Amino acid sequence: MSETRPPRDLAVGAEITGPARRMTAERIEWYDSAMLSAARGELAQVGSNIHTDEAYARSQGLPAVIADGMIMTNWISSMLVEHFGLSYVERSELRTKFIKPVPLGMTVVCRGRVLSVERLSSGAVAWMLDVWCEDERGVKVVDGHARVEVPA
Amino acid sequence: MLGGYISDLAAGDVFDPVEYVLTAFMASEYAHGVEESWEGFHSSGAPGGRQMRPPTMIHVDKMRILERNCLREQRVGGAKGPHARIHYEYFARQHSPAYVGERLIVSGRITDKYVKRGRTYIDYYLEVRTADGRLVTTYTDKTLLKYEPEGKASP
Repeated sequence: MSETRPPRDLAVGAEITGPARRMTAERIEWYDSAMLSAARGELAQVGSNIHTDEAYARSQGLPAVIADGMIMTNWISSMLVEHFGLSYVERSELRTKFIKPVPLGMTVVCRGRVLSVERLSSGAVAWMLDVWCEDERGVKVVDGHARVEVPA
Repeated sequence: MLGGYISDLAAGDVFDPVEYVLTAFMASEYAHGVEESWEGFHSSGAPGGRQMRPPTMIHVDKMRILERNCLREQRVGGAKGPHARIHYEYFARQHSPAYVGERLIVSGRITDKYVKRGRTYIDYYLEVRTADGRLVTTYTDKTLLKYEPEGKASP
C-alpha cells in the first residue's frame, strides 16, 4: 500500500478496482451497528430500519431491505486508501451518488478511472478520478468522483 | 424548524453545534464495520504515529448533529421518525486528518429543501474543526425525506 509516495503508475486512463463483495445482512448489520457505536462511543446494536427489517422496509414503500449507501462509499474510500494511503486521509474529496438500490445478494465491485493528473503550484500532484460501484452485470449502482492531492 | 423531526427542518436552519473527543474506539470500530483494514485507522502504527479516523466518519457527525437538533427523531438513540429517509448524495472534502484524542466541533445548516417529482429532498452543509480551529472536513449531503412520492400511500 502507498503511504506518502505518489502513485507513479496511475496515469490518465489508468483503472483501479476493489474486491467483489456480495451484499449480505451481516455486512449491513456490521455497518449500521458500527455507525451507531461510533456515534455513541460505546458498542451498540442496530435495531429495525429499512436496511435491516424487511417488513419495515415494505411499509415505507421499498420492495425489500436495501443496503445503506455509506457502505459502498466506504468501499470506494478503502480503494482510495489502498492506492493513495495517507495522502487520501490528509487532503482529498469524494462524492458519491446512490443511483440504484443495492439489495441483499447483489455482488458489488468498486472501480475508478484516472481523469487527470495535475502538478499544482505548491509542487503537490492532484489526481482526479471517476469512481463508481457496479453490479454483476456492470450496471452502475453508485456514481461519483474523487480528487486526491499527494504532497511534493 | 429545529427540535422536532428531521422532516421539520427547513432551509436556513442553523444547527446547534456538537463537540466531542474522538476516541480510538470510535475510529477503529467504524473502520472495522466497513472492512477497512488500513492500520492508521486502528492504531498509532500509522504514518506519523497517530491514529486517525476514516474521512467518511463525517457521516457519523451528521448523525450526531441531527441527534442534538431533532429531538423527536433520535436515530442514534433508537427513535424513528414518521418516515424513513434515503441518503442520495455524499460529498466530503478532507482538509486535514482528525486524530484520536482531538476535540472535534461539528457545525452546519440546512442549505435547501425542495420537492422534485413529488419527493422532498433536504440539503445539508456541515463542517468539522478541531477545538483549536483547524479545518478537518467540509461536507454537503442530499437526502430524500420519504421514499414514496406524496399522494401514494404506504401499504
